[in-house]
Amino acid sequence: MANVNTSLSRFETKRRHRPQVGLYATLLPPLIWMTLLYFVPIALLISYSIWRLEEFDIVKEFSLTNFQMIVSNVAYRTVILRTVLTALAVTTIDILIALPIGYFIGCYSGRYRTLLTLLVILPLWSSYLVRVFAWKIILGYNGVLNTALISIGIFQQPSQIFLYNQFSTTLTFVHIWLPFMILPVITAFERLPKTLLEASADLNAPPLTTFRRIILPLVIPGILAGSINVFSLTMGDFITPSLVGSPSGIMLGNVISSQFGVAYNWPLGASFALVVMLIVFSGLAIALKQGALDSL
Amino acid sequence: MLNQFITAFLIGLLGFTSVFLPVQPAQAAGCMLTAIVWEGYTDSSFTKEFEEQTGCTVKATYAGSSDEMFAKFRTGGGRTYDMISASGDITERLYKAGLVRAIDPDKLQNYESVFAPFQNGKWNTFDGRPYGVTFAWGPNVLVYNSNQVKSAPTSWDVLFDPAYSGKISIPDNPMTIADVALWLGKSEPYNLTDADLAEVKDKLLQLRPNIRKFWTTAGELANLFQSGEVVLAHAWPLTYTQLSEAGFPIDSVSPRGKLTGWTDSWMISKNSRNADTAYQWIDFTLSGNGQKGIMDVTGYSGATELGATAIGKERAHELFMDDLSLHSQIKMWQSVKNYDKWVQLWNEIRS
Repeated sequence: MANVNTSLSRFETKRRHRPQVGLYATLLPPLIWMTLLYFVPIALLISYSIWRLEEFDIVKEFSLTNFQMIVSNVAYRTVILRTVLTALAVTTIDILIALPIGYFIGCYSGRYRTLLTLLVILPLWSSYLVRVFAWKIILGYNGVLNTALISIGIFQQPSQIFLYNQFSTTLTFVHIWLPFMILPVITAFERLPKTLLEASADLNAPPLTTFRRIILPLVIPGILAGSINVFSLTMGDFITPSLVGSPSGIMLGNVISSQFGVAYNWPLGASFALVVMLIVFSGLAIALKQGALDSL
Repeated sequence: MLNQFITAFLIGLLGFTSVFLPVQPAQAAGCMLTAIVWEGYTDSSFTKEFEEQTGCTVKATYAGSSDEMFAKFRTGGGRTYDMISASGDITERLYKAGLVRAIDPDKLQNYESVFAPFQNGKWNTFDGRPYGVTFAWGPNVLVYNSNQVKSAPTSWDVLFDPAYSGKISIPDNPMTIADVALWLGKSEPYNLTDADLAEVKDKLLQLRPNIRKFWTTAGELANLFQSGEVVLAHAWPLTYTQLSEAGFPIDSVSPRGKLTGWTDSWMISKNSRNADTAYQWIDFTLSGNGQKGIMDVTGYSGATELGATAIGKERAHELFMDDLSLHSQIKMWQSVKNYDKWVQLWNEIRS
């Protein structure tokens, strides 16, 4: 009897043991992957940010010169402020556009839903650069917009006001990141229980009240999920401002790329990259608290 | 149990190796010369001839500024690129960082043809030994749309003309500060004090409303001219050559005494595995065909007698290759001591 017991318990441990080893073994490669390509680079980035550049050489000693420079320099502060404000503006405009579209596709599109969702994603199949460049062609001095305005007689000669300023930067960002906002919003509207809307109508609530008290609270996680996408994508981008942006309107991404490229000041560039990460993470923390990831 | 462990591990490993597999074909390529160069120096029009002669392919990366070149050349311990077309502002930096090797002129058949003053140029001779081979030089010029700008400008002041407000472009490169210093009459544009830099900043802020766009590559600048965005630019002769070849109404002037420019040398990485091919490439660019190719594509001046013969007497005179009188007038790009301040000033102008 005792013999049977031991063999049974040995069998038990064996059974419990088996899947665990297998699990760890399969987890190992992705873990190595994450460590090599994610954690190590971040550790490197942080260590670069506390080093400094002297006479074209990186001095590997602890110092906070870079962060002091970022905080004390008026120009850099302006860039940080401009980047955050642009990212917030782009996010807000995208929310305003995505809400009605998401509402329609999520609630009323019926059998065309797949097709419409596909149309939303379609621009993502073309290169990001091509989409940015397209705006250059539309807004340029001899561009599509100017030509159209002249041909219908609104302008006598081409205008320069459309391209290379804050307006063109914001417009381009709004356009290229829009799908990342619309998709989670559609999902949120799909999950919206129709019964609640009917109940609200039964209780004589006007449409605006239904929207404010029923729809909005239920789709907010979707909006927040989209906002995380749009906000962080805008914060880190440098191609759009350098292609269609104002000559005096660089953003954080441009500063970082110029520190890593042209200036060879990797420590300062790394510090700026950390500043961007800090801002994005604080935005993420706020969004997570409101339950943003439920709709991703 | 062991079997299961091994199976699981192998599956995981398989997933992992698939990531590395695509890398292999690139390494398997035969004779390949990698270089980081200014736009136009490895144009296919003449590189093809070299590739046919030697069977080696030239794989070049374009850089937008000397600093970008230096940074990219240095990463990977100087193994990423065999060669660099270094301008005078980074040759000494490359030498001091121990990234380049001394040149053995005996390995170059065409070395004797390099203009005598260039053979021991102070920009690439260190410790009495050559570390680079000069092959091209030129000034930064004023390029303009000859349909829009009726009378040929004679001075850089035209950039400040309100008539061309919002119609000009200047390079997105901190070295442009040296040009502004020259416009302000500073005699040593690469040795500027904090007070000088403040003056330069005022001047640039005055210019900024006129600037439509800071250009980063010659290709971008050509596009700006063609799409009608700008009519005047501070540019390389390359833009003039590119656009006039495309039939665009373009002209260029080089205002006397207010010119910056560059003298470019080929330098070979200390850790290059293809040094012999690099020597072959340098030899080719010093030859008549190589020099002519570079000059035709870029519009820059060449550096060898063979090149001067190949393009003919008249063209050689136009490019100042007969007496090199322009070369001594140009304030050639050189190392800047307080360069971090230059970069900071530049970022302030751009923000």
